[in-house]
Amino acid sequence: MSRIGVFVCHCGLNIAKTVRVSELAEFAATLPDVVVAKDYKFMCSTPGQEMIANDIREHRLDRVIVTACSPLMHEQTFRKVLAASGLNQYLLTIVNIREQVSWVTHNIDEGTSKAKALLNGAVNRSRLLMPLTSRVIDVNPDVMVVGAGIAGIQASLELANTGRKVYLVEKNSTIGGHMAQFDKTFPTLDCSACILTPKMDSVLQHKNIQLLTSCEVSEVKGFVGNFDITIRQKARYVDHDKCNACLACTEKCPGKSVSEWDEGLAKRKAIYIPFPQAVPQKPVIDREACTFFKKGKCRLCEKVCEQKAIDFEQQDTFSTVKVGAVIVATGYDLMDTRDLIQYGYGKYPGVYNALEVERLFNSAGPTGGKVILRDGKEPQAIAILHCIGSRDKNSYEHCSRVCCMYSLKFAHLFKEKTSADVYHFYIDIRAAGKGYEEFYNRIIEEDVKFIRGKGARVAKSADEPDRLMVEAEDTITGKFIRLPVDMVVLSPAMIPRSNAKDIARLFNLSTDKQGFFMERHPKLAPLSTMSEGVFIAGVCQSPKDIPDTVAQANGAAAEALTIVVKDKMELEATTVMVNPASCCACQNCVRVCPYGAPFFKEDKGVSEINEALCKGCGLCASVCPTGAIIARHFTNDQVLAEMEGLMEF
Amino acid sequence: MAVSFQQIEEKLKTEARRLLESGQVSLVLAWGRGFDEKHPMPYVAKGASDVDGIVFNEFCTHNLARYLVRYPRGTKMAVAVKAADSRAVVQLIQEDKVKRHDLVILGIPVYGIKNPKTGEIIDGKTTCGLYNPVLYDILIAEEVHGQPVSSPYAVLAEYEAMDQDARFAFWKKELDRCIRCYACRKACPMCYCDPCFIDQNKPKWGEKSPETPGNLMYHLTRFHHLAGRCIDCGECSRACPVDIPLYLFHKKVAKECEEMFGQAAGMSIEDKPVLVNFRMEDSDKILE
Ligand SMILES: Cc1cc2nc3c(=O)[nH]c(=O)nc-3n(C[C@H](O)[C@H](O)[C@H](O)COP(=O)(O)OP(=O)(O)OC[C@H]3O[C@@H](n4cnc5c(N)ncnc54)[C@H](O)[C@@H]3O)c2cc1C
Ligand code: SF4
Ligand code: SF4
Ligand code: SF4
Ligand code: SF4
Ligand code: SF4
Repeated sequence: MSRIGVFVCHCGLNIAKTVRVSELAEFAATLPDVVVAKDYKFMCSTPGQEMIANDIREHRLDRVIVTACSPLMHEQTFRKVLAASGLNQYLLTIVNIREQVSWVTHNIDEGTSKAKALLNGAVNRSRLLMPLTSRVIDVNPDVMVVGAGIAGIQASLELANTGRKVYLVEKNSTIGGHMAQFDKTFPTLDCSACILTPKMDSVLQHKNIQLLTSCEVSEVKGFVGNFDITIRQKARYVDHDKCNACLACTEKCPGKSVSEWDEGLAKRKAIYIPFPQAVPQKPVIDREACTFFKKGKCRLCEKVCEQKAIDFEQQDTFSTVKVGAVIVATGYDLMDTRDLIQYGYGKYPGVYNALEVERLFNSAGPTGGKVILRDGKEPQAIAILHCIGSRDKNSYEHCSRVCCMYSLKFAHLFKEKTSADVYHFYIDIRAAGKGYEEFYNRIIEEDVKFIRGKGARVAKSADEPDRLMVEAEDTITGKFIRLPVDMVVLSPAMIPRSNAKDIARLFNLSTDKQGFFMERHPKLAPLSTMSEGVFIAGVCQSPKDIPDTVAQANGAAAEALTIVVKDKMELEATTVMVNPASCCACQNCVRVCPYGAPFFKEDKGVSEINEALCKGCGLCASVCPTGAIIARHFTNDQVLAEMEGLMEF
Repeated sequence: MAVSFQQIEEKLKTEARRLLESGQVSLVLAWGRGFDEKHPMPYVAKGASDVDGIVFNEFCTHNLARYLVRYPRGTKMAVAVKAADSRAVVQLIQEDKVKRHDLVILGIPVYGIKNPKTGEIIDGKTTCGLYNPVLYDILIAEEVHGQPVSSPYAVLAEYEAMDQDARFAFWKKELDRCIRCYACRKACPMCYCDPCFIDQNKPKWGEKSPETPGNLMYHLTRFHHLAGRCIDCGECSRACPVDIPLYLFHKKVAKECEEMFGQAAGMSIEDKPVLVNFRMEDSDKILE
């Protein structure tokens, strides 16, 4: 005999709109062992919680069922109510009648009936629940940050300044990310290098930051508080411990390749640093471009290096790092606009993408900061096309958020550096940040022309063969426009890194429709993920500008700190164990567990579980043919009872 | 056939004797005399003196891989296998039920094994249709070539033409005849669980009486447990006293699995058990 209390939440009208909540409570009262059933507007509010606490005392409840929103929202809230009232917190059951019922139907009859079925099942299961004790584990005090763009740099510095050890992992040979490619930043037009390079340097100097460039995460084991992360150090062929950054090697090297840093607009050597302010300022060899690796002869760099730092034998190495929390800040790529053939990128030399233009403006860029086209001429007329691939059902539905602003920045810089006429082709201008509208107004006054209509096509001009023709519909006048220009700038969609899927798999992150990492809750947990102890910051979460990126980075650092600041933490008690009498040694559990918790005991001939690693996901229980796996809180008996309850309805 | 059953029997005996006498293995799994010529039985030779009991004739259908899991891990064993049987050995190695280095596999290429009940030659209709073992240490006869080869899935055409309701009706009718003797499970090299889910009482996964609900529960779960693991030896169906064509279901699942993941059960010891192995490039079709 149990004494169950059922508490039905209206969630304002969220639930009450499509579930007859009082009828549900009345129905609950008729179920065996239910001694009290009530409905209330907001169960999670203080009066709601107090009501539950009072009923636990008054009716001597030993099980509590709350039918409300997803347990992800308020399981912790209600568990605390039970704990404070002297009940084991695992005697709580949440029935999700919001996301799983009221939000998936408009029909109140259907909604009410499904809610009853779920509740009927829950009462069945609730009876069989057992009190469980949470596990307490030690927490590793260090943090890993993956990606060293402005987001990763900022988060690392914040954490390091609190005295935490930070491992900053960057796949490139230098830190800095996209921001290091820019000349000026909107809306203040301060010089990107002036604000970024001091930070990059602090990272290098900071005694609490271990910088791991040319590194990638190759394996993640463990869980919040105790991650074991394997890092692959890619071969640089230069021993950075010996190199003193004289760069004599880069001068002598005959090998050539295009500079990724200059977006392919310039060449670089096979042994190189990406740009003069790179951090660390020590070169790496690009195997693909190196004459020695290609032809077996050369080794000029080795000859000139007095430090004997060149090492053609170097191999990738792997090392394991233990941390308590992780911040993922892997940033973005620009969409490859060659796929949108109507804009002629890659076909007409006069068509540029936005990052290439950033490099043209940059005094350390391929043209020394002059706006000169690929054919060596200065443009007389420039068209900037907004929303290329963004806000476009055929490519990416999302707005890339910063393109309007950097396009305005471009217009200003074009005006400053050339005498060209500058035209914007836009759908509408989104300038919603602090000082952004003011910046927009300022650009309007700089005699920049705005044509409200998305650029439809770029073609070769029929009359002047070395010019381009931009076609669009001006939606204000309704007229079709054909504008001859010398340069077309595309503002392409910002999209997730091409390797975002791998990162998502390694850290167990979900991705949204576009492939950006999903936050735990879009409003209330924007920096957390479904993977506990892993946080996200910057554009890898969604397109945003530098101010928002930095704010997120600071937030993520604080979130990571809340974990590593404690030396112990409580873990869910919902782990599994193996009943050795039923285990047939198929080792399915060992094979499917994403956390590596089960292992096979050769001597006993059965599998066992390392409970410190088990997250209670239940995968093993579902593939165990003999039902030998006992998932605490979701035992076969409990789940079957719930299913019977569901089906008898 | 180039080699006669008699020659295979002789060679089996020679190898068995050699392996046992040299102490390389502590037992040899083969076939022995049954109550008549038509009914040989699985046979274990544990010493040289047992070797004379080994028999090989056209009715040696049994898949002896079934018996490998009976002995403690680490036991050195030799096992005589026909083509499909060798796939069972491979699958068991994949599942780490036996270790490759503990086994001496006596591979028997053979065409012309007959179903003792019907006298028909066993081919791709009820088994995987291979005639040469996929893995062996010692080949007992020359490889078989030039015999009729058919796709193991060709027999499914008629079944696949049925719609969902007809298929369910078909299986309900067939499985209703099951007397729950569990001979299918006993014959199957992959059904090594102890206890099998259906024998359990807490929770009771299905009724134990031979009636529709329990029969469906037992068989559908068993089919599911064998998905991606059944190597299509057909022994379950031959063991069945009421001739339920279990092979049809197994073949259908095997076909789906192979189409979806590009891997057939028990073909290579490099493979991992397909349904409990995650590969980035795996098809998502199963989610549709
Ligand atoms: C053309 C253009 C102009 C812009 N101009 C401005 C401006 O003027 N003002 C403004 O506020 N914003 C501007 N932005 C937006 C700005 O670029 C972003 O807000 C900012 O760069 C985001 O920083 P981040 O650290 O999130 O990403 P990123 O800069 O992309 O950095 C990510 C870092 O992670 C590394 N990384 C990626 N994957 C891995 C991996 N698997 N392992 C290890 N490391 C990895 C990358 O190499 C990189 O160093 C502009 C954007 C564009 C496209
Ligand atoms: S899945 Fe079940 S039967 Fe198989 S090894 Fe694990 S616990 Fe044992
Ligand atoms: S429930 Fe099973 S599969 Fe999931 S983490 Fe625990 S041991 Fe691994
Ligand atoms: S299910 Fe039947 S055909 Fe498949 S391996 Fe087992 S006995 Fe052989
Ligand atoms: S039916 Fe399933 S549980 Fe039973 S023996 Fe076969 S595989 Fe194991
Ligand atoms: S062998 Fe045939 S009758 Fe026996 S349990 Fe299997 S299907 Fe049923």
